[in-house]
Amino acid sequence: MTALAVLLFIGSAVFVIAADGLPGFWEHMKSEELQFALRMSLTTATLSSVIVMLLALPTAYALTRTRMPFKGIFSLLIELVLSVPYLLLGLSLLVMFSSPVGKWLKECGFPVVFSPAGIVMAHLLVNLPYAVRLLKTAFETSDRRQEFIAQTLGASPFRSFLTILLPSCRSSIISTLILSWSRGMGEFGATLMLVGVTRMKTETLPGSIYLSISTGNNEAAMSTAMLMLLISGLAMLLVQTAEKSERRKTREVRESQWK
Amino acid sequence: MEIEIRNFTVRRGEFVLQPVSLTIRKGEIFALLGRTGSGKTVLLEAIAGMFPGDKGEVLYDGVNVMEIPPCKRKMGIVYQNDGLFPHMKVEDNISYGLRMHGYSKQERKQTAEELMDMLSISHIRNQYPGTLSGGEKQRTALARALALRPELLLLDEPFSALDPATKEVLYKNIMEIHRLFGCTIIFVTHDFKEAELLSSEVGILLEGELLEVTEGKQLLKGSYSRKIEEFLGGRK
Repeated sequence: MTALAVLLFIGSAVFVIAADGLPGFWEHMKSEELQFALRMSLTTATLSSVIVMLLALPTAYALTRTRMPFKGIFSLLIELVLSVPYLLLGLSLLVMFSSPVGKWLKECGFPVVFSPAGIVMAHLLVNLPYAVRLLKTAFETSDRRQEFIAQTLGASPFRSFLTILLPSCRSSIISTLILSWSRGMGEFGATLMLVGVTRMKTETLPGSIYLSISTGNNEAAMSTAMLMLLISGLAMLLVQTAEKSERRKTREVRESQWK
Repeated sequence: MEIEIRNFTVRRGEFVLQPVSLTIRKGEIFALLGRTGSGKTVLLEAIAGMFPGDKGEVLYDGVNVMEIPPCKRKMGIVYQNDGLFPHMKVEDNISYGLRMHGYSKQERKQTAEELMDMLSISHIRNQYPGTLSGGEKQRTALARALALRPELLLLDEPFSALDPATKEVLYKNIMEIHRLFGCTIIFVTHDFKEAELLSSEVGILLEGELLEVTEGKQLLKGSYSRKIEEFLGGRK
């Protein structure tokens, strides 16, 4: 009964978006502003999720496979950042990049505050701890003996990372990449603080919804929300496909053990 | 390769391996015998140099194993389960070490062929570990460990999950490998008949303590402390 009530509650949110977003969806999709916001979201989320993975993979490896100092503090910091509201993270970035260092970066041609680079930066701060935690869990559950065997067979730690650990955590890595991307697509709080929302300049999909609601254009907001719902659904489908492929492999292993 | 264990002790979680001192001569087949949970695998992994001890050391021909990088230990290890790389086919598993050492594709193929022929697993060369039977997995893991002609072969309960017929085949394989490669072999088992059959010496490890080292042939004939007698209770 409780489960049914929860299902109804969650389902009604999705239903409202679909019911209000669908009627003007195709018309709204032709709008130049929405297309800009979609491009901006796709570009920044893709770029930031690639950077997140490039940074999170070695970090998770260092936390699980090396004797690096201050591991406990590092893990605590990750948990702390995950529990802080994104608005605060954005504020901290704003303070950081409004400092002389931020101004110097701007003079060097790398403006962060109120620029698309800031959106990527906000995504990084929000998604990096999340990705590190997911990958850390995946690496912790992976059998270390296989890496040791690989090393006794001549692999350097780096080659055993590439040839053994990464392939054995493939589905977790793909899931983390897709989830980071999807979270980047929906990120709003930190971005709002650092970059603000300027039409056709730093406008992302969530920013577009915010602007539409601010101007009382609820129909446009719901159409954009519908688009985001479709993108999230697609991302979820990809994650599930990756997990299903891994489960199929495991099932094959189990079945072969019963032979 | 001669293995010398000097006063080695280690704590792994709740388990404590009491100080072990032991010498395993070059070319010997040594069995580590004991009940499940007695610390046999911990001692085997310590010999492999997977982790340092809290005290003491393990020496390979007089050199502390922790000072030798894993890739230069000339040692092969075979686990009871899960040792094969699941994302690689049987042939790729076997030739992995050769690939890491920069052997040509031709050399890798030839060595893998020879080993697969010797262990009768040529027919499964293109299969992934997930589709193999227990015996096929063990023979693949053995072939992989042998590809680099190790001087020390460590086997963790290599026969425990196998049916009697497959066990017999693997016993013969191990003896053949020992004859051909001349390597020192240390294997873990809880089956004292297996230990008597295959090993030249047996170390009896119970509750984290190495209680006795005896000749393989004498294992079932000797007289021991009460603890060991209880363990060997069904020997007659």
